[in-house]
Amino acid sequence: MWVDETRAPIMTQLGAEFETATGQPVAVYQVGFGDIRDRLQLYGPTGEGPDIIIGAHDWLGQLATNGLVEPLDLSGVSANVDPVALGAFTYDAGGGAEVYGLPYAAEAIALYYNTELVPTPPATWDELIQIATDLQADESLGLEQAFVLQEKDPYHSYPILTANGGYIFGENADGTYNPEDVGLDSPGGLAYGQMLDQMVKNGLLRAGVTYDTMISLFNAGDSAMFMTGPWALAGDTGIRAGGQPFAVAPIPAGTQDARPFVGVQGFMVSAFAPNKLLAETFLNEYVATDETMQALFDADPRPSTWTPVADQIDDEDVQAFIASAANADPLPAIPEMSAVWTDWTDALDLIFTQAQEPDAALEDASESIRALIADSQ
Amino acid sequence: MSSLLGRILGLAFIDAIALTFGYGLAGGGLALGAVVLGVVTVVINVAFLTDRLMPIRWISPGLLLLTMMVVYPLLYTVYIAFTNYGQGHVLAKEQVIARLESQTYSDAAFSWRAYRSESGQFLLWLTDPDGGEFLGDAQTGTINPVDRADPRFGAIDPADNLPTTVDDFQKLARLGVFPYLTALERVRLQGEIDGTPAEIRIESIDDAVLGQQKFTYDAARDVLVDNETGTEYISREGFFVTPEGTRAPGPGFSTFIGPDNFVRVLTDSRIQGPFFGVFIWTFAFAALTVVFAFAVGLGLALVLNDKQLPAKGIFRTLAIIPYTIPGFISALVWVGLLNPLYGPVNGIIEDVIGTSPRWFQDGTLAKVALLTINTWLGYPYMLLVSLGALQSIPSEIYEAAHIDGASPFQRFRTITFPLLLVALAPLLIGAFAFNFNNFTLIELVTEGGPPTPGSQTPAGQTDILISYSYRLAFAGGRGQDYALAAAISIVIFLIVAAITLFNFRLSKRVEALV
Repeated sequence: MWVDETRAPIMTQLGAEFETATGQPVAVYQVGFGDIRDRLQLYGPTGEGPDIIIGAHDWLGQLATNGLVEPLDLSGVSANVDPVALGAFTYDAGGGAEVYGLPYAAEAIALYYNTELVPTPPATWDELIQIATDLQADESLGLEQAFVLQEKDPYHSYPILTANGGYIFGENADGTYNPEDVGLDSPGGLAYGQMLDQMVKNGLLRAGVTYDTMISLFNAGDSAMFMTGPWALAGDTGIRAGGQPFAVAPIPAGTQDARPFVGVQGFMVSAFAPNKLLAETFLNEYVATDETMQALFDADPRPSTWTPVADQIDDEDVQAFIASAANADPLPAIPEMSAVWTDWTDALDLIFTQAQEPDAALEDASESIRALIADSQ
Repeated sequence: MSSLLGRILGLAFIDAIALTFGYGLAGGGLALGAVVLGVVTVVINVAFLTDRLMPIRWISPGLLLLTMMVVYPLLYTVYIAFTNYGQGHVLAKEQVIARLESQTYSDAAFSWRAYRSESGQFLLWLTDPDGGEFLGDAQTGTINPVDRADPRFGAIDPADNLPTTVDDFQKLARLGVFPYLTALERVRLQGEIDGTPAEIRIESIDDAVLGQQKFTYDAARDVLVDNETGTEYISREGFFVTPEGTRAPGPGFSTFIGPDNFVRVLTDSRIQGPFFGVFIWTFAFAALTVVFAFAVGLGLALVLNDKQLPAKGIFRTLAIIPYTIPGFISALVWVGLLNPLYGPVNGIIEDVIGTSPRWFQDGTLAKVALLTINTWLGYPYMLLVSLGALQSIPSEIYEAAHIDGASPFQRFRTITFPLLLVALAPLLIGAFAFNFNNFTLIELVTEGGPPTPGSQTPAGQTDILISYSYRLAFAGGRGQDYALAAAISIVIFLIVAAITLFNFRLSKRVEALV
């Protein structure tokens, strides 16, 4: 099986237990998380690929469409899996919707805030803008930027889009995404662009802020609020190590509740697995257990999708992220999503640098996305 | 004699390696690669065994590498450009057929337990939902109803009410069956449903199913038949479809589609629209990079070549240091240096002119930044080759010019520069062709950005042809389109080849003038 470096020690140990119990050895190879998808596409069809990989649910658009992963029968264990996560790993590759992965973690972004500077987290974007304006006006605080949004980043700005009533792809009656209905220039989408534009004009947002800048500004006490996921908690450069008093809150609402993207990670079985049945059994009987799921959570505190583990988490920060993920949209897994990122990023760039009016930028981006999608049909 | 023996031993070694590789290539489905390797190996053998072909002997290793690393990828790219290889069409047709043929329908469920003999043979005990029991023989594929009074059965296990042994076959515990799951997964037992033959296969650790094959591929007619409904699917453009156009379930396959990709490159408005602008900038980027890098490199070389300059060694080393740092590290460092908020270079500029330029948010500034960075990366090479070429100009010419009373500038313009150009023209053309496709720098520094306002294509203001085609092919409507990427890169190759040819002609004319 192919797993990333965080999961590799756990899987190696589990493989050893499996071998003691059954006499069947398990070979665990460490592959960088970002490389797994493309390598499977390369090695799977040659018969030299793995039986099991870990991956993100939005890879299904590529992996399932290309026939590289196998549907799984998880009926025995699915009662313990968070339904949002299981839904994210359900994909229709042309022959009906099927489950392709056993999820272990789901993550969505939420609002980090400095509890000293912001005693009560804002419940709406109007409040957030008010707080940010007041904080920046107070020169004794010397804040660089009260609320930081990573620039040119559709992912972090998506909850602002949904808070304004915008969307990426409209939904069909059966809940699947309709790639012909692009909502970046819907009234909600345009409101999102205008909101960002106003914040830039008022000096609340600015261009040139990368993810690293966002984290270091907060840790240095130069900013009071920002949005990102649970991955920023841990690590030497993480928020916990940064030493600022902080808490995590849901993302403020606009005209509607803000729904961030949720990304789900899980185990999948290669369609060219030499030991398909064994792989599926291993997942059902050895990975889908309280002990393994707990170990996976302990190694990397991303909100677990295994409900017996998730129910026992008493860390308030992680709980806030679980709450955020429960009210989130799965990152669209359909292949058409790849047409969206570039144009959306460009539109944000144009708005942040004030090179174009927000409405025009989003309309151009939507036209380009529609043309790309129509082109590929 | 001994030399012939040595040669034969050497050839045997090379042939053994070639055979190993060729076998691997052919086994991995790259038959074309195996053929090319075979031809090259034969050429090497003939060259080393025929005395007349002596000269070829010593270039044959180079020939081999050239074939493996250049010619083969080139041919493969051309081949890919004529297929639809890309998102949704990754697998070979045979692989898609194998997947479809493994599907079943009208499944009836059984629970199963396995018995294993010492010699590694298996029996399967199947129980249907009504309690009917069958014993299947994995070796013959036959299946028979169980007679509980069968004398072959050993003691009954009270836990599951099954016999612990059948003849010398031992019942496998649930955990004990794991090492054999892969073998058991392939077992097919012959059963029947309402009189038509059907297969029993193991589907999970507890369940087996009886079903009929859903699809059969008729190779003679190139038709996929749905055995359940009788629908026939023909293969068209990498999909199995009914004549009305309904697709069979499952992925598409990669197939030969002719020149469609090239037609797209030449007619698609998304590719054609920004093409001209992108082409001009690509040309300017490559040409200006060479001009600036050569100017800086030659200037430094002239200074460093001056006999009066003290501590020449130190200065030369310092000037060449940028060359020893990997280009992509330097590029990323430059991006940091030019950051409008935190970059030290920007800090200095702000102190001097009072404003901090936003390098990567304005098209013109981004182009200036790119050219600056690329000049930094490129000048040490120009410095090195210029230094070498300067020293090869005979000093008598300068002495003669000195006696004739030529000024230093006249000496440079009429002697140094033309003579240098003769020696360096091919290198400059090479540098131009390299920068024409300098994807790494563009992607690391600007990613093609900033975006063009009002544009409905993904072309950024600093995109060069190769980075733009990357965006078209890999950020396309449905993900990667390798075939389109291959077609575009062939078109770019033709453009670069034409420009290079023209340059060579031009530089020959310059040489003739000198």
